[in-house]
Amino acid sequence: MINLFRYRPQLRFLNTIVLNKSLITIVLGVALVGCNQPKNQIAIDYSTPYTSTEGGAMISAMTAEPSGLIYMVAGESASAAIASNIFNSLLKYNANLDLEGELAESWLISKDQKTITFKLKPNLSWADGKPLTSADVLFTWKLVIDENTRSPYASDFQLVKKADAPDPLTFSVTYDQAYAPALDSWAGLSILPEHSLKGQDIHTTSFARKPVGSNYYQLDTWKNGENITLSRNPNSVLGPANINQLITRIIPDNSAQFLELMADNIDSMGLDPIKYSRIIPSRPELQKKLNLYKELGNSYTYMGFNLKHKPFDDIRVRKAINYAIDKQEIIDGVYLGLGINIASPYKPGTRWSNPALSPYPYDPNKAKTLLLEAGFKDTDGDGIVERDGKPFAFEIITNQNKEREKSAVLIQRRLKDVGIDVKIRAIEWASFISRFIKTGDFDVVVLGWGLGLDPDQFNIWHSSQQAPGQFNFIGYNNPTIDKLLEQGRTELDPDKRMKIYHEFAQVLLEDCPIVYLSAGYGLTAIHKRVKGIANPVPPAGVGYDSHKWYIPAPFRRNVISAQ
Amino acid sequence: MRLDILKKALSNPLALAGFIIILTIFLLAMLAPLISPYDPDAINVKAILLAPSFEHWMGTDGLGRDVLSRMLHGGRISLLVGLVAVGISTLIGIILGALAGYYRGWVDTLIMRLVDIMLSIPSFFLILAVIAFLTPSIINIMIVIGVTSWMGVTRLVRAEFLSLSEREFVQASRTLGAKDARLIFTHLLPNSLTPIIVSAVLGVASAVLLESGLSFLGLGVQAPQSSWGNILTDGKEYIQFAWWLSLYPGMAILITVLGYNLLGEGLRDALDPRSGSNR
Repeated sequence: MINLFRYRPQLRFLNTIVLNKSLITIVLGVALVGCNQPKNQIAIDYSTPYTSTEGGAMISAMTAEPSGLIYMVAGESASAAIASNIFNSLLKYNANLDLEGELAESWLISKDQKTITFKLKPNLSWADGKPLTSADVLFTWKLVIDENTRSPYASDFQLVKKADAPDPLTFSVTYDQAYAPALDSWAGLSILPEHSLKGQDIHTTSFARKPVGSNYYQLDTWKNGENITLSRNPNSVLGPANINQLITRIIPDNSAQFLELMADNIDSMGLDPIKYSRIIPSRPELQKKLNLYKELGNSYTYMGFNLKHKPFDDIRVRKAINYAIDKQEIIDGVYLGLGINIASPYKPGTRWSNPALSPYPYDPNKAKTLLLEAGFKDTDGDGIVERDGKPFAFEIITNQNKEREKSAVLIQRRLKDVGIDVKIRAIEWASFISRFIKTGDFDVVVLGWGLGLDPDQFNIWHSSQQAPGQFNFIGYNNPTIDKLLEQGRTELDPDKRMKIYHEFAQVLLEDCPIVYLSAGYGLTAIHKRVKGIANPVPPAGVGYDSHKWYIPAPFRRNVISAQ
Repeated sequence: MRLDILKKALSNPLALAGFIIILTIFLLAMLAPLISPYDPDAINVKAILLAPSFEHWMGTDGLGRDVLSRMLHGGRISLLVGLVAVGISTLIGIILGALAGYYRGWVDTLIMRLVDIMLSIPSFFLILAVIAFLTPSIINIMIVIGVTSWMGVTRLVRAEFLSLSEREFVQASRTLGAKDARLIFTHLLPNSLTPIIVSAVLGVASAVLLESGLSFLGLGVQAPQSSWGNILTDGKEYIQFAWWLSLYPGMAILITVLGYNLLGEGLRDALDPRSGSNR
C-alpha cells in the first residue's frame, strides 16, 4: 500500500513480482494461520456469491523473515510487506496511482513551491489509544535524518531545510529549492509513534518486534522462523478492515510454498511464469480453487556493464552486445511471453515512458560490424574475437534467481554467435551484494530494478551516486544525464517534467550503459475463498485495497485461535 | 594374481552387478558426444518442459534442452569429479598414513591428531565453508572434496603399516640393511594396496554424492555445463509438474553410487583375508 520501494535492487526472491510494491502487500502482507487442514470438505463451490462480511483469516507466505518492522532502518521488502499493514504515511497512492491523503486530510504547496503544509485528519489515534498528532510526524522526520539512524532513505528527507509542527494537526516542511519527488517521498515514510520510541536507539529497540501502529492491522504474535500474525486494529485510522487476521508464514523455498498452496495451507503466493501459464492451467483442481492475477510491475530486468572495466567503456562494444542479444527470445523462453520489451527505465504505458523510443533490434550482423569497428577480430579462427591478442571474454554474474540465470544462458549463447566468450556465475544474494556489487568487482551483471512511482532516478544514474553501497554501481558517468536528473528533481510542472524524463530515457538508450531485457509481469495466485479482489488489476496493483477483501463464512477454515 | 582377485571378486553376484553398472555408466559417459541425440546446450525456447517422448526420451528442461543429452554429458562431469577427488584424497591419505605408520613417535601423534581434528568437523559443512571462499568450478570442487576426505585412507594405511612392520619379511629386510624408502615402496605399500583400493572405490561413491549435493546447492558445476546435481536442482521447482527433471538425474546418482558400493563391498570380500569363507 505504501510506496516503500524506491530504487532497490530486487531482492533474492525468485519472482520479480515480489519487488512490485503493490504485490508485496498481497504476496507477503496478507495472511492466516497454518494449520493442517483435514480435507474433509466435499467440493465447495467457491463461485457462489456472498456479500462482504467481517471475519476470517488469510494466510500468505514469504521467503525471508523481516529483520524488524521499522522499515526506515530495515530497508528490505520482507519488512515492508508486514509493516505496510501496520503503519500509515501522510499520503498514499489510490487505485489509479494518484496521490491522496492517508493521515493527511489535505496538503498545500506554497507559491514558491518550496513549502508543503500537511493538514492531518482530526482525532487520529495509535493502536494503543494515544492520540496521533503532527508531533509524531515531526519526530519521525527527525528520526529518519538523524545520523545515528543510518537509513537508506534519509537522502530524500535531508533536503528538508525546516520542518515544523505549529499545532497538533499541522505539519509543514520547507525545502531549499523546489523538490519534485517530495510528495512521493512523504507517501513512502511510515509515521512512527513518538511516545513509544522517544529516547530509544532505533537499531536496538524492542519496538521493531512489538510495533504500535495506526493502520488496519496490529501485530499479534511473531514466532521466529514460523509465522507472523496480524490482527485487526480496533483504532485503525482508516476504519476497520474485513479480514480478521493476516497470517504470514515464513517458507524460504518457493517450491515448498507452492506445495502448501496446492495443499490449501496458504491462500496466496507470487508465481513464476511456468507455474502461472503451464502448471496451474494444466490442473483443473487448482483452477477450481485459485484465481490468477497478472499486472505489469514497476520493475525491469537488465544486463548492466561495469563501465569502469575495459572494453565496456567503449560505446561500440556496448551497442554490439545489445544488438547481439535477442530480447524477444528471452521474453518468450524465460518469461513464456509474460514480459514486455522496453526501451526506457519506466513502466510502459505510463507518462514517463517515452513512446518514441524503440528497443535495439536483434541484429547479429550489425553487432559483428560494431565489434570490428571497435578493433575486435577473430584472428586465430577459434570463433572468439580478439583485440591486441586478447580474446573477448567476460563473466556475467547474477543472483540465484531462475529467470535471471536462464536469461544469462540465452545471452551466453547469442554472444557466442558473434564471437564473445561468456561465463555465468549465480551467487547467493547476500554475498552477491557484499562481495561483488558493493566492491564493483564484476564485469557484467544481470539484475532487476524495482522502482517507485516518481520518475526521479537520481540514485541509480547520477555520477555522484557511486560510493560503495550506493546504487550507481555500474559506474555510469554522463554529464548530460546528470544535468537532466538534476533538472527533473526541481521541475514541478508535470508536462515539462515529462519532457525532461523523455529526453533522459533517450540519452540513456543511445548511450547504452545497460541492456534492457524485459519488464516482467507480476503474477499472483489467490485462493477463491478470498472475495472482493479487483480483476483486472488496477494500476496500483492487486493488493492496494486488501482491507476490502473478505472471506465469506462458509469458506473460512478452522483457524487455531489464540483467544 | 591380480586377475585372480578380480575373478574372485566378480564371482560374487552383487559385486558383478556393481561392476557391470559402473562399466555401463562409464561407457555411456565416454561415448556421450557420439550417442547424445542432441547438443546438450542447444536451447529451444519453443520446446520448454516437454514430457518424455520418442523425440526426447527424457523430456526437455526449462530452456528446451534435451535432458537425455544433458544427463549423458553430466555423467562425464560427475564421474570425473568422483575419480579425481578420490585420487587426490587417496594420495594424501597414503603419504600421511605411511609417514605416521612407518615413523611412529611424534610424527604419528601429530598426523593422527590432525586426522582427529579433521574428523571432528562435519565434512559437508567444511566443504561448504571452503567453497564459499573459492569460485565454484569443476577443478575447485575436485580439489576441495579431495583435500577434505583423506582421513579414512590415512588411518587405513597407518594401520596396515603398523601391522606389516612387525611381519617377518619386513623385519628381515630391515635387518639386511634396507633403507626406509625401499622398505616403504617395495614391501609395505604394495602389501597395503588391497584395502586402499577397496576404500577408494567406496570413496568414489561418496565423492559422486558430494559433487551432486554441491551442484544441487548451486556451489558446484556452473551453468550451462550440466551435472546430475544441477539438473536435479533445475527440476526441484517443477517436481509436481515435470517429474522427468528430477527422476532421471536422481536415478542416475542412485544407481552410480549403488554400483560403486556393490563393487567396493565385493572387492573387500574377495581381497580381505580376514573376511568370510573365501580362504
